[in-house]
Amino acid sequence: MTGQRAAVETVAASARNLTKIYGQGETQVYALRGIDLDLPRGKFTAIMGSSGSGKSTLMHCLAGLDKASDGKVTVGGTDLGSLDDDALTVFRREHIGFVFQSFNLLPMLTAFQNIVLPLELGGRRVDNAATERAHMLAETLGVADRLGHRPSEMSGGQQQRVAIARALITGPDLLFADEPTGNLDSTTSAEVLGYLHKSARELGQTVVMVTHERDSAAYADGVVTLEDGRIV
Amino acid sequence: MRTFFLASLRTHIRRYVAAAIAVTVAVAFVVGVGVLTTGAQTGIMAGFGAPFRNSDYVVSKLRNEDAFKLVERHGENASPLGRAMLTVRAGGRSYPEMGVGPVAASTDLRWQKLTSGRFPERKGEAVVDLWDAQNWDVSVDDRIRIGEGATAADFTVVGIVQAPSPVAQASVYVTWPQLVRWADDPSLGVYTVTVRGAVGPVPEDAKVQTPEQAIADRTAQLQNGVDTWSLLLLLFAGIAVFVSILVIANTFSILLAQRLRDFALLRCVGATRRQVTSSVRREAAVVGLLASLAGVLVGIGLGYGLIALIKSLSPITPIASPPLPAPWLLGGLAIGLTGTLVAAWLPIRRVVRVSPLAALRPDTATDPRTASGRARLALAAFLLIAGLLLLVLAMVWHSTVLMLAGGGSMFIGVLLFGPVLIPRLIQITGTRFGPIGQLATKNAVRNPRRTATTTASLLVGITLITAVLTGINTTSTALNEELDGQHPVDAALVSTGKPFSDDLLDKVRRTSGVDLAITVDGAVATVSGLDKPIPVIAAPDAKQVARDGGAFAQVEPGVIRLDESAFRQLRLQAGDKVKVAVGERRAVLRVSIGTGWGLEAIVAPETLAQLTDSSAPRAIWIRASSDADSARLVGDLGDLAAPAGANVYDQLEARETENAPLRILTWAIVALLGFSVAIALVGIANTLGLSVLERVREHALLRALGLTRRQLRQMLAAEAVLLSLVAALLGTVIGIGFAWVGYETFVKQALTNATMQVPWPLLGAVLLTAALAGLLASVLPARRAARVTPAAGLSFE
Repeated sequence: MTGQRAAVETVAASARNLTKIYGQGETQVYALRGIDLDLPRGKFTAIMGSSGSGKSTLMHCLAGLDKASDGKVTVGGTDLGSLDDDALTVFRREHIGFVFQSFNLLPMLTAFQNIVLPLELGGRRVDNAATERAHMLAETLGVADRLGHRPSEMSGGQQQRVAIARALITGPDLLFADEPTGNLDSTTSAEVLGYLHKSARELGQTVVMVTHERDSAAYADGVVTLEDGRIV
Repeated sequence: MRTFFLASLRTHIRRYVAAAIAVTVAVAFVVGVGVLTTGAQTGIMAGFGAPFRNSDYVVSKLRNEDAFKLVERHGENASPLGRAMLTVRAGGRSYPEMGVGPVAASTDLRWQKLTSGRFPERKGEAVVDLWDAQNWDVSVDDRIRIGEGATAADFTVVGIVQAPSPVAQASVYVTWPQLVRWADDPSLGVYTVTVRGAVGPVPEDAKVQTPEQAIADRTAQLQNGVDTWSLLLLLFAGIAVFVSILVIANTFSILLAQRLRDFALLRCVGATRRQVTSSVRREAAVVGLLASLAGVLVGIGLGYGLIALIKSLSPITPIASPPLPAPWLLGGLAIGLTGTLVAAWLPIRRVVRVSPLAALRPDTATDPRTASGRARLALAAFLLIAGLLLLVLAMVWHSTVLMLAGGGSMFIGVLLFGPVLIPRLIQITGTRFGPIGQLATKNAVRNPRRTATTTASLLVGITLITAVLTGINTTSTALNEELDGQHPVDAALVSTGKPFSDDLLDKVRRTSGVDLAITVDGAVATVSGLDKPIPVIAAPDAKQVARDGGAFAQVEPGVIRLDESAFRQLRLQAGDKVKVAVGERRAVLRVSIGTGWGLEAIVAPETLAQLTDSSAPRAIWIRASSDADSARLVGDLGDLAAPAGANVYDQLEARETENAPLRILTWAIVALLGFSVAIALVGIANTLGLSVLERVREHALLRALGLTRRQLRQMLAAEAVLLSLVAALLGTVIGIGFAWVGYETFVKQALTNATMQVPWPLLGAVLLTAALAGLLASVLPARRAARVTPAAGLSFE
């Protein structure tokens, strides 16, 4: 859909004067204070910051999970502020993939069912092409032999890789990873980060990762550091 | 531990609300029954003893002449109780067999309550009972005539009274000297006299009692009736309590599972297992106590409210607002409290087994897949097989006791099998629902035991409702067929004067509520043994209108068939020979007796041809449409009949009165079972609401992945509908099965021509109601779930 534009545009998503305020009156907290940011297409960008720096809020706003208080977010040419909740949901479904720190998979579904879930939610039939794509992604991510298992029967690293496969199944404009290695040991972390990097390099996927670990950020093509709601 | 207990209570009490509602409804049911029963007792007692109240002795088991002597001897100090059944003529109409009783001479001994006017003092004065006065359209100063022939007398109505007691109730009351006028009437019975002061000599076999003894004697039977009713109501209350115990048990299982890590942490920091147990148990006690107290209050309101409503709708009902029935209130409270504690017992035991280490493990504890123990399955299988055997034996031996035992055993077996059975059924049903339905199905079956308990509560109610509806439908269809034979013609116009014109038939056919009408030809004949001439007819076309297919009108030549219900006292019997004469032509015919068409006698066409050459329309037989308003139809027919000099004979009203009790019984039982269904639906809403709480993160994830709010609500609605639909379907199947066993066991014994009749449309309506109610139960939880923003559910920093 966005293939043609992708050829001419080099920016996958951008934020202008992005501001997020929690609470009201005296209890007001500025989570984001006027962020300006462009995320380059086909690259692996890391957003770094310590706990409370606003990095997760930034990701939520960029991904359309949360509404900004002020400013503008554009993803693949669409102004997210102009969408209502339903339109935003459909937009997320079609253009954005997610990998979270933990609890990425629905416990009652198998790995395969989890991977194709975004397609089913969109009312699409899981046809041969989709099944093939799911298998291809599983192959790339090294979980092809786990497709019939439930999350409780997989290791943490395997779960995260299934989550990445699920995030990629729709071919999204943007893949967000929120502390994807937060719950993993260092070997497994390296593996998962390697796969994210591979997604950007081999599949041309735009990847944005939020992390507080310098080691993780090292896998990225570029790093944006946040402190107290501002880019530094 | 005290701090923990209070803090938990503060934090979690709101999550108990739905479960508490279930307990409240059940307790309110019990207490409401108590207040109503006590009210009925008070009401019956208040009025019942009225005729005996101010006397010193009650002399009963008297013969009429002894009673007369006793009254003569004691004069003012005696009050005779009794009545004669006489014809009363009021407002131009005659009412046969109305009770006429005495008013005591002394004002102290008069027990009737005056609502207007005054009591009769002298000859020619009478008071009339309120209800009869309304029926007859009679008020003070109107004139009525009592009795027939030589003993008839005219009276002026001087007052309207109410009789608070059925003991000596009558329609009209006159002074004793006036009642003596009918001393020789065979219907007069005065068997009891109440006396002030010493009784003196009485006949040997008479019984002398104090008023208290007399009242106690006579109320014992009534009391039994009230007790039976309250026992029956308590049975339904018991079902409601059982269902709410299921709901409470489920609530505790879910809530405690969600707090598993809290308990593990407590154990980690040094709480003993006993401390944890007692803290949670106190929580259960507080919930049970508060819910039961609320239930008692609601029950009191319900009971007194209903009594007030009954009083205002039908002032004569013997029911009164009783003083607070303390035993019932305490009983209700105890049932609610005990029920809650019992229901919480197992879940609490299960949760305190948690090892302290569980607190330190990653967050996986909120979704424990409960397995069904082998012992449980073995027990379930045993109960199912034993129940099946008992049911077979019950059908063979026609034993109701075996049937109840077998049914109970099988049902408990099904409930125990629930965790295996219900999820399978849900999966089968859920496959037809699309991708959102697939998610809902998976959610519905992820915790088999929770699913089973949730549906079990609804299963109980639906099974019983289905069994009752099917059973009663079978019985009433059979009874209806029997009634068809007893009342073959809905209504008939019969003339002993001029034959009917075709014009009249047209008018009858145009009357609203008439489905079909035919004329029946015959002649007016004298029949030996009957005082008046009657029409004798032949009806080869009877099957057009007859409810029994015309069988009643098929008479062999040489036979005359009479409707025994059309004559006040038919002295003829089946097999008697009677002489029948039309003008000069005569025949001797054999009598056959039937019932349910009217005054006209039926003969074969050949016999009629023998009696007359000029037969003419003498009767019009009518079949009413199924939606006919029978009272109006009979009134309209009466208006048509009067100018033609004909009489109307109708079977509709008789039929309706014979049908009414069963219909009332059906709906009363369904309404009573409705309580437990309502509780079960609260339970479904509750389970769903609590599940939604523990799935906040899943829902947030789904929303992040592109599930719209609407789809999320649909998913939860589908889950609730699946739960209730599967429970209702299974309940319908089991209920029909039980009804069939009941039919084989005792219905066929009582009504040989009965066939099993399943009321499909009605059961369909029950299913639909259950599904819609499931949908309704999902509304609040789904709204709460949809409010969570995807980001809020996913922040764990």
